[in-house]
Amino acid sequence: MGMSYDAATPLRNDVGLELSGPWAAYWVAMLRVLTGWWFFHSGVGKLLDSGLNFGAAGYLQGMSGTTLGPLATFLAGFPDLLGALVPLGETAIGLGLMFGVLVRLASFFGALFMSLFFVGNASFGHGLVNSDLMGLLLFVTMIVFAAGRYYGLDALIERTEFVRNRPRLKYLLG
Amino acid sequence: MQSNDVDLVDRLAMALSGGLLLLGVVGTGLVETFDGPPRGAAPVTNDAGQVVAQPTVDPNVRTALVVGALLVLLAYALYRIAVPRVEAGTERATPETQPGD
Repeated sequence: MGMSYDAATPLRNDVGLELSGPWAAYWVAMLRVLTGWWFFHSGVGKLLDSGLNFGAAGYLQGMSGTTLGPLATFLAGFPDLLGALVPLGETAIGLGLMFGVLVRLASFFGALFMSLFFVGNASFGHGLVNSDLMGLLLFVTMIVFAAGRYYGLDALIERTEFVRNRPRLKYLLG
Repeated sequence: MQSNDVDLVDRLAMALSGGLLLLGVVGTGLVETFDGPPRGAAPVTNDAGQVVAQPTVDPNVRTALVVGALLVLLAYALYRIAVPRVEAGTERATPETQPGD
């Protein structure tokens, strides 16, 4: 861990362009918390304004004819269930990501939400890569990097005897 | 290849930038969300277009906190470019350099 280098003539020293482990962990955690806040805010706002009666069926019904039309119109057949599951789901996904609990499972459902928004909002005036797609990509990124392991509670949960005896749970945690 | 070294400058940049970002988005966001409508960061208008509710926290304050967080990262990046760090194992013996005391 020698730190002696010639500060007066920096170019004499090697310039490292390697990935910084601590910065990568820090940034993955920041992305996780901010993505989580995004969904938590959306879910809690719905809970505060319309309780468990959020009206999502009309939106989904309007998606008939899109790529995800069959799924959306199927879901629209359960308006009461959706009225509770959408605000509760968004809140739970947000809490999971912010605290780093069951991050991969939560991110799967976040990606499902964002797939419906990406296709349903269809705001493609500036091209197919829009903020809905970016949000979707963030959830996939959380899964790939197992973002809950960095400053998240999944790091502790994965060390429990229960999880160590059931290693497949790491596909839901992490 | 990855480096696991962090020094005081790394820690300061992470803490300051992260603190500003989380305060601007999450901290003030919690206030805005639970302090009645609007729950977002824009005024609520009625059908006639009149503003009926203003955000609790001025969105300009919140965006300033976010921009501040980005500026901290920029300052850190410029510092790292100006004063590169030698990674363990890659340093060379430089006869001109006296060992630090």
